[in-house]
Amino acid sequence: MAFLDVRGVSKRFGGLMALNNVDMSVEKGEIFGLMGANGAGKTTLFSVIAGHVAPTTGEVHFNGRRITGLSPSRICRAGICRTFQIVRPFAGLSVEENVRVAAIYGSGRGRSRASRDTLVNEALESVGLTRQRAGLAGGLTLSGQKRLEIARALATGADLVMLDEVMAGLNPTEIGEMLETLAELRRSRGITFVIVEHVIGALMTLSDRILVLHHGERIAFGTPEEIGRNKHVEEVYFG
Amino acid sequence: MKALDIIFGLALAIGGLLVPLSGDAYLMGLVFQLAMWIALAQSWSMLSSTTGYLSLGHAVFYGIGAYVCVLLTGVVPFGVALAAGAAASAVFAGLIGLPVLRVQGPYFVILTYGLAELVRNVVMRIESALGSFGRMIFMVPSFEVLVWCMVALGILATLGAAAVRHSALGAGLAAIRENEVAAETVGVPVARLKLLAFVASATIPGAVGGLALLRTGYFEPAQAFDPVISFTIVTMALVGGTETVRGPVLGALGFTLLSEALWSSLPQLYMIVLGLTLIAFILFVPRGLSGLADRALGRG
Repeated sequence: MAFLDVRGVSKRFGGLMALNNVDMSVEKGEIFGLMGANGAGKTTLFSVIAGHVAPTTGEVHFNGRRITGLSPSRICRAGICRTFQIVRPFAGLSVEENVRVAAIYGSGRGRSRASRDTLVNEALESVGLTRQRAGLAGGLTLSGQKRLEIARALATGADLVMLDEVMAGLNPTEIGEMLETLAELRRSRGITFVIVEHVIGALMTLSDRILVLHHGERIAFGTPEEIGRNKHVEEVYFG
Repeated sequence: MKALDIIFGLALAIGGLLVPLSGDAYLMGLVFQLAMWIALAQSWSMLSSTTGYLSLGHAVFYGIGAYVCVLLTGVVPFGVALAAGAAASAVFAGLIGLPVLRVQGPYFVILTYGLAELVRNVVMRIESALGSFGRMIFMVPSFEVLVWCMVALGILATLGAAAVRHSALGAGLAAIRENEVAAETVGVPVARLKLLAFVASATIPGAVGGLALLRTGYFEPAQAFDPVISFTIVTMALVGGTETVRGPVLGALGFTLLSEALWSSLPQLYMIVLGLTLIAFILFVPRGLSGLADRALGRG
């Protein structure tokens, strides 16, 4: 069984089929890209995996364990953490406090104070927020808050991190830095990433494999080269 | 700053514990009131200052504690009756907590107020159905003992509030206040922590209600569940400042002394002053007396 295994997941919102019988297998240590136009169901799929939305049918297994129906906090403690496309900082807390809460409660529960400190410092360092750690999270720029989302997810000690459009709104230099950061995190800590990105160049560079969704259905799957050559993807994506 | 707070708190606590030795009834009455409001405002802050879920119904916990205590006084020893009052409030909070804490913002404020009124009316009906329109309480311990107990509750509530704030629980509650969805996402068990804070904030008010009742020697539901108790708690905590443990102490101190001053000359003004002060602080001093103290001492 794959590290993260999504089997036959469907989600219906009233008359709308947001996800229709989607399968997805993510291997440990890979960077897995999720592609699709607006409304394709990418964020809904994230929400189903992270436990924010219950699937109408289907199951999600992680690390050999069924996680469908668990609360988001329990899924986080099982080792999966997501970020939000529309950032949700703890605005009134300092940057460091934001990250520390994640280190206290995430899958790193029961860690000693010292190892929590390490987790916090590493998370801040890897996204380049060390210098702003004492400032209020609400005072960060959008790019800063996007990076804080990632730092918080990392500080939970998650083995699988799902990033929802963390590059949107960043300038090309920042995107370059972000790509390096993610690649480095995978190398050094063996973190598995699932990423949703509108910045297709970034997705193609970073991902080992890509799944393309369209109107809630899986229309293509393969390496970035295969997806790039896929006529069907070209049609629905570029019109 | 930390050191100053601790010295100030220790002075208050020791002063409060020494006063009954003086035998001065007026001073003891003052200390009793002060300790009572500190205990109530600190308890309230364990839920409301930490999570931002503003309870406007804390009188219900005070009232339930008072009611259980009056039913048990004379049947069981005094200490057991008090503990039972606290336990009853805690159990009540535990039972209603999960559904009530699903409601947020102004709806939570109104719901807690409505629940307190509901319980007040239910107890009034029960009492009138039983044909009692108030109960006299006998076998009350001496006033000195009551003052000592109340001061102990004030100290306990303050230490409890400090412990909550500076623990992992406090960090989780702060995250809940800032963004509940994000808190849940990074592993904070939101529903469980809110319930824990709710029960913690309900427990000591139960014992406080019991003690206050034993002091008056007379139980009357409309009085024991008086919504003015809830309003006063919220006002003291907000005027004192919600960001620090010192806030509720300063708020309780300010209002108790103010009410003493007004009581002798202009008692009818008390509620008006309470309202005006609350409005003034919310508009102009959002960080409360505690924030003013910081500024006066040149920090923050």
